[in-house]
Amino acid sequence: MAEKFKLNDHEREILIFNRRMVVAGVFIFLLVSALVAWMVYLQVYRHDYFSARSDGNRLHSQYVSPNRGLIYDRNGVLLADNRPIFNLTVVRETATNLDVSLDLLRSAIKLSDDDIEQYRVRQSRRAVPHTSIPLRYQLSEEEIASIAVNQHLLPGFAVEAQLVRHYPFREVAAHALGYVSEINREELEAMSPEQIANYRGSHQIGKTGIEKTYEDLLHGQVGYETVEKNNRGQVMRVLDRTDPVPGRDIVLHMDSRLQAAAERALGDRRGAVVAIDPATGGVLAMVSKPGYDPNLFVTGISRTQLADLNRSGHTPLFNRAIASRIPGSTIKPFIGLAGLYHGTITPETVVNDPGYYRLPGRTRPYYDWTWWVDKSGHGPIDLRRAIYQSCNTYFYQLAVDLGIDKIHDYLLTFGFGTNAAIDIPEASRGIVPSQAWKMENRGEVWYAGETPYEGIGNGIFQATTLQMAAAAAAIANNGIIRQPRMLRGTIGNDGEVTDVIFEDTAAAKQLLPSPEQVALVRSSMVDVINKPYDREHRRHEGSAYPVLRDSGEPLLYPMGGKSGTAQVVQFQVDSAGNRDNSEVPEAFRTHAMFIAFDASEKSRIAVAVFVENGGGGGSVAFPVAREVLDAYLLPEQETYNEVSAVTPSHNH
Amino acid sequence: MTSRIASRPLGDAFYRLPSRKGDIWQSLRIDPPLMLSLLCLAGFGLMVLFSASGENVADVQRQAGAIVVGFIVMAAIAQIDVNFFRRGAIMMFVGGLMLLGVVLAIGVQINGAKAWLNLPGLPSFQPSEFEKFLVPMLLAWYLSTRSLPPKFLDLLVCGIIIAIPAALILLQNDMGTALMVIMSGVFVILLAGVSWRLVFFGVFLLAMASPAWWIFVAQTHQKNRILTFFDPYRDPTGAGYNIIQSQIAIGSGGLQGKGWLNGAQSQLDFIPESNTDFILAVLAEEFGLMGVLLLVGLYMAVLARGFYIAFTAQDMFGRLLAGGIILTFFFYAFVNMAMVSGLMPVVGLPLPLVSKGGTSIVTLMIGFGILMSIQNHKRVLPR
Repeated sequence: MAEKFKLNDHEREILIFNRRMVVAGVFIFLLVSALVAWMVYLQVYRHDYFSARSDGNRLHSQYVSPNRGLIYDRNGVLLADNRPIFNLTVVRETATNLDVSLDLLRSAIKLSDDDIEQYRVRQSRRAVPHTSIPLRYQLSEEEIASIAVNQHLLPGFAVEAQLVRHYPFREVAAHALGYVSEINREELEAMSPEQIANYRGSHQIGKTGIEKTYEDLLHGQVGYETVEKNNRGQVMRVLDRTDPVPGRDIVLHMDSRLQAAAERALGDRRGAVVAIDPATGGVLAMVSKPGYDPNLFVTGISRTQLADLNRSGHTPLFNRAIASRIPGSTIKPFIGLAGLYHGTITPETVVNDPGYYRLPGRTRPYYDWTWWVDKSGHGPIDLRRAIYQSCNTYFYQLAVDLGIDKIHDYLLTFGFGTNAAIDIPEASRGIVPSQAWKMENRGEVWYAGETPYEGIGNGIFQATTLQMAAAAAAIANNGIIRQPRMLRGTIGNDGEVTDVIFEDTAAAKQLLPSPEQVALVRSSMVDVINKPYDREHRRHEGSAYPVLRDSGEPLLYPMGGKSGTAQVVQFQVDSAGNRDNSEVPEAFRTHAMFIAFDASEKSRIAVAVFVENGGGGGSVAFPVAREVLDAYLLPEQETYNEVSAVTPSHNH
Repeated sequence: MTSRIASRPLGDAFYRLPSRKGDIWQSLRIDPPLMLSLLCLAGFGLMVLFSASGENVADVQRQAGAIVVGFIVMAAIAQIDVNFFRRGAIMMFVGGLMLLGVVLAIGVQINGAKAWLNLPGLPSFQPSEFEKFLVPMLLAWYLSTRSLPPKFLDLLVCGIIIAIPAALILLQNDMGTALMVIMSGVFVILLAGVSWRLVFFGVFLLAMASPAWWIFVAQTHQKNRILTFFDPYRDPTGAGYNIIQSQIAIGSGGLQGKGWLNGAQSQLDFIPESNTDFILAVLAEEFGLMGVLLLVGLYMAVLARGFYIAFTAQDMFGRLLAGGIILTFFFYAFVNMAMVSGLMPVVGLPLPLVSKGGTSIVTLMIGFGILMSIQNHKRVLPR
């Protein structure tokens, strides 16, 4: 019995164990079935979903920015090119330890709070994830090395090469060319969806000047590539690529040598010079002083640099060449043309100048500049002498005889009161007053007492230096008016320059003067500079002649011109600028103006000079105008070589 | 001894004699089906590892070396008579506890667990790994000397046998290994026939205790793992990243897989731990469902042979030990596959014989050595 019991016990134990093993087997079967079912679910039923996720992980579309088109001057001198710089960039998703990394970088390279602040702004604007955002531009070689050494401590950071805009002549032509800088939110919001897509790969956009006007030509078409990236965002291979279309290279009418000469002629004075080719309206030079280095803006100007620029109080960013001013006596030739056109005067019409003018029935005198010298006046005077002597009384009378509305209509013909420039949209329109204009803008009727001042350009009338140059060019060009323009053509892939012919678009050309009328005014303007003293007759020399004579350098080409002096405050100052200005505080001194042109048969250049608070137009602005014309018309002059003194810079 | 066996009247019927056909393998004490399955697994594993490690030949060589060492260790242990384990169970268990004590004193900390011993002349190793055999061994011995099913007092003793090493391992701050040691002991107790009522009661207790564990004991990273299991997307680039990327890899593998060395997820480093704990994701991506089924099939083959050995062991010690070892092995493989595919919270467990890591392989092979010892050291009974 005992053995039997033991046997049963043993069997029972095995039975227990075996049963438990079977239970375990069933469990295992169930678990494995569940696992396999789950795997089938993941790998068969959800395969498409996970395949897409996998592709999403590794495949990234990225934009390839096009190279910006280059800007050349008329002689093929490069005014704006692109050069590689090395930037420190961050991919936020892989920068696991941003703050620690930034602290490390602060000690390794030059990294200001400004940089970090600007980076955060860029980061907040970014639309596409996993793209790199610039943190510091233009790393030095030492900095690149220093980053390379610490690369393992800087996850998500990389040094990337980028082509950025570079202006080799720095300040020269800065206002005309403008600059590119980082695209800002307002610009993005103003873009159409197609434009936004086209700027996906771009960091910069033209902000002012040519860079802005011809942004569409210069920018090009963005390219795309599909790349495979690993977990750390490194590009493993490029799977597909659509090359970007680079921006068009463009050629300007600008002559960089003339531009540099004009800047030199103006020197450290505030002011503007605009030179125009009369035959084409092409802007040969456009200077505004003081200037600035546009390279500062390309990669984002820092707040301190901007503050430095503005500290002078002389607004270097402001383009004086296209800002409107009271033009002073430089307007007189055009008032004279208006008189001839309307038959108000003939070349023989004589006005008696006792030294002042009075409106009929009024007692208030409008003085001629001679009144301030010896109270003598010009006596009987015709248009020719009124122009070269810059007689105020003649033009007071003429303005009153014409009436303000005729003056208004006529001046529009010469591009005043409107932005006639074809591709300088930033230019001011200036002001050409009329009765309607005054009612509309000031809510007042036109008073008869205002008209005389419009005859000598010291009233409401305002014009830009660009407009004055264009008007002078029209006279130089024997009355054929060409609208000012900057762009000369584009350069194709074959290097051929394709002229971009802009048809003139100005509407008001009905009031064109006759050739004889223009010839009279033109030769009177030649007299302004060239008519010498006459022993017999007093006040028969050109108003600018004394300055020319005192310079001791005779002109080597025919030149015409007209000076102008604009009052900043109400001083009665002569139009030749002879009154001593030096006692007046600089800011209240008169603005000096001069328009001039090459007076040969086929005029090659016309120029307008404006010197802010410079003093007299004849004494201050005329020498500048002459230096500019010399530089352009006398090819053997040393100025030709001196242009190269403004050497292209590759660092700044 | 002889008299004891002879005293079993119907012993012949129950104790199978070793097959006389497999004489060579029999004399080598090697079990051919088990050996073959393991070799296939190890070979497949090396292939996957080559891809998972980014075609790193050195890694694969090191792993192959560990596999060779593992097989040698297995073969060596297979030579030991199973009775040695039975008799030496207590001594080895005590020795194992002493090693754990030594670890606590002079152990080296790796990955937060002070579980490693760097003894001169030996490769560094984790003594806690041995507990996965020593605990079942002692339990198998103890329970086989009792009558089954175990009484309450027996269970208490078993509980102590499990608790002491588990506590020492917990002191090393190695929760994962402690759990595995406990599981290896629990499997033996379950096989010994502990009443289902007690089992359910235990499960019930655990369920009741889990809220308290969650509130008072669980550490943040453990909570995170569980929360992440329920919703990987609560932190897709942090805690949930592994499991999300792993599922993407598995799912994108499809039926056929993307081909060996062609898994985008694997080759572009989107799968963290791709050559250790998450190597299944690489396998599933590159070999597809077919590869997964092959792997599961090989595990099942090993499992089936283990079951056979357990069923046919000569005595209750052998049965319990073989059953415990093979269930622990399955548990390992299943938990890893379930966690990598997102069926379970992530716990740090390698995929047996596939994941990179020499210690894991050698430990596993010790287990298979013991299985072979159980299979091939059967006493020839008198006719």
